[in-house]
Amino acid sequence: MITREEVLAQIRTVIEENVQDMFGTDLQEDTVLNAEGNVDSMGFILVVTKLEGIYNVKIPDEEWYEIRTLGDLADVILKYMPEQ
Amino acid sequence: MKRYTGFDELLKAQNSTYSDAPAFCYDCDGAVRTVTYGQWNADVHAEAQKVKESGYACIGIVCDGSYACVVMIFACVLAGCQTVLLEAMQNAQERQEALVHTDAEAVWMRGELRETGTHMAQEEQNRRNGRILFFTSGTTAHSRAVVLSDASLMNSAYNGGCMLPLTGDDRMLCVLPLSHVFGFVCSLLWPLSFGACVALSRGMRHYIDDCAYFQPTVLSAVPTLLQFLLKYNALNPQLHTILVGAGDCPPDVLQAVKKSGRHISFGYGLTETSSGVAISIGEDPLAMSVCPDDTITLAEDGEILIYAPTCIMQGYYKDRAGTEEIMQDGILHTGDIGMIDENGCLRIRGRKKEVLVFADGTKIYLPEYESRLAAAINNPETAVVMKDSRPVLVMQNNGMSRQDVMDAIGPVMKMYSRGRQIADVLFTDHPLPRTATGKIRRWQLQKEIGL
Repeated sequence: MITREEVLAQIRTVIEENVQDMFGTDLQEDTVLNAEGNVDSMGFILVVTKLEGIYNVKIPDEEWYEIRTLGDLADVILKYMPEQ
Repeated sequence: MKRYTGFDELLKAQNSTYSDAPAFCYDCDGAVRTVTYGQWNADVHAEAQKVKESGYACIGIVCDGSYACVVMIFACVLAGCQTVLLEAMQNAQERQEALVHTDAEAVWMRGELRETGTHMAQEEQNRRNGRILFFTSGTTAHSRAVVLSDASLMNSAYNGGCMLPLTGDDRMLCVLPLSHVFGFVCSLLWPLSFGACVALSRGMRHYIDDCAYFQPTVLSAVPTLLQFLLKYNALNPQLHTILVGAGDCPPDVLQAVKKSGRHISFGYGLTETSSGVAISIGEDPLAMSVCPDDTITLAEDGEILIYAPTCIMQGYYKDRAGTEEIMQDGILHTGDIGMIDENGCLRIRGRKKEVLVFADGTKIYLPEYESRLAAAINNPETAVVMKDSRPVLVMQNNGMSRQDVMDAIGPVMKMYSRGRQIADVLFTDHPLPRTATGKIRRWQLQKEIGL
């Protein structure tokens, strides 16, 4: 069973490897990844897409706007993760 | 280039000239499916008949970028409905508010049309024909429904096409949301006006590989998307022309595209002008020529004033005061500051209105942002301006150090993503320049601090 802490760590890794310049190095659970409900940050889209691939989940498009922080992203990945 | 009076004429003309040529292509279970102009024309008319039979006077369309969505938009206009284009990535409450505000009696989403329970008043019904409503981008509380028409949008496509002609052999990658006027005109109507093919993106998960998949020759993009595609080397070799707009574009991005041997143009326009009024066509992507139908002058303070009789909005929906504030005697007061260079080209220098526009086309409403910052540092003489594409805080010196300020605004910064966070602090030794009503004179402030 993958834990929330493991998902958070994986998100940090994906950000560090791909878009550290966009989100910085101080990645806390409440770090904002997606502002004002507009899913138009390319870095954010890249991160979510990569995580969908890593965990084999598909987050419905209409839920993307609800992801605001790093913690939200971990929660939504866990929500759609296939039963293990 | 031919000028089309509206969607009906566009469909008829292209059906007659390019009937067997591809109008659209899109992904269908891993294969590229093509729709000809003849088929598109037939699909729109069949759907328009259904819309007419439904009896709805106003329909909201959630723009998911699919072929069915494109057909529905054209069908609603042909059926005489007031058509409201809505963002796909919008929460249910915001969508409901938009539908109520625009009197949408039904909403189309993912292929289904459902009733909203709203009824359009007879007075509005009498004016509905050909109306297409776009919401201005920005925070929800400050976005407005702009009333355009298929005629104004086709005129805008004509203006753009005169500046940047395409051919029937071109293929445009349509990756921008159709609910934004830049995406609608510059990714859809511009190529369709030339009988070119529109490749409908597979969506945000495929931004990085759609160029390789569809092999477009033309692309309209916002600066952040272009920056992203460059960074990941995702532009295909067949791509020869890129039109960038809807936000300030860093010069290094423009240079990188030029260096790759592609033509890059920068466009300036507003939702209120049905998209672009000036486009760069020469070697310097930031020196823009004014489109044929439009006249641009500068006010004394440098504000860009636009006279665009064929493309201008009818007004903000149900907001006469807002319309009169921005439009006087047919002239649109943009709130943007520009200059006309020695070659007669328009260059954008900044903004005097109360918003910051980011490279992805999104905006922050400054009074709200500034009041949060002012409260955090207990200093009302606080403003935010853009410097090197990042927001910086300008404040009257009250003895706080830069680090004190950054520490104090930390909790506010947590509310914003990194790109919107304050990157630096600049101090002035006097109160900020303001108008008689207390608004910050932003352009004057920018000059004072040497931006």
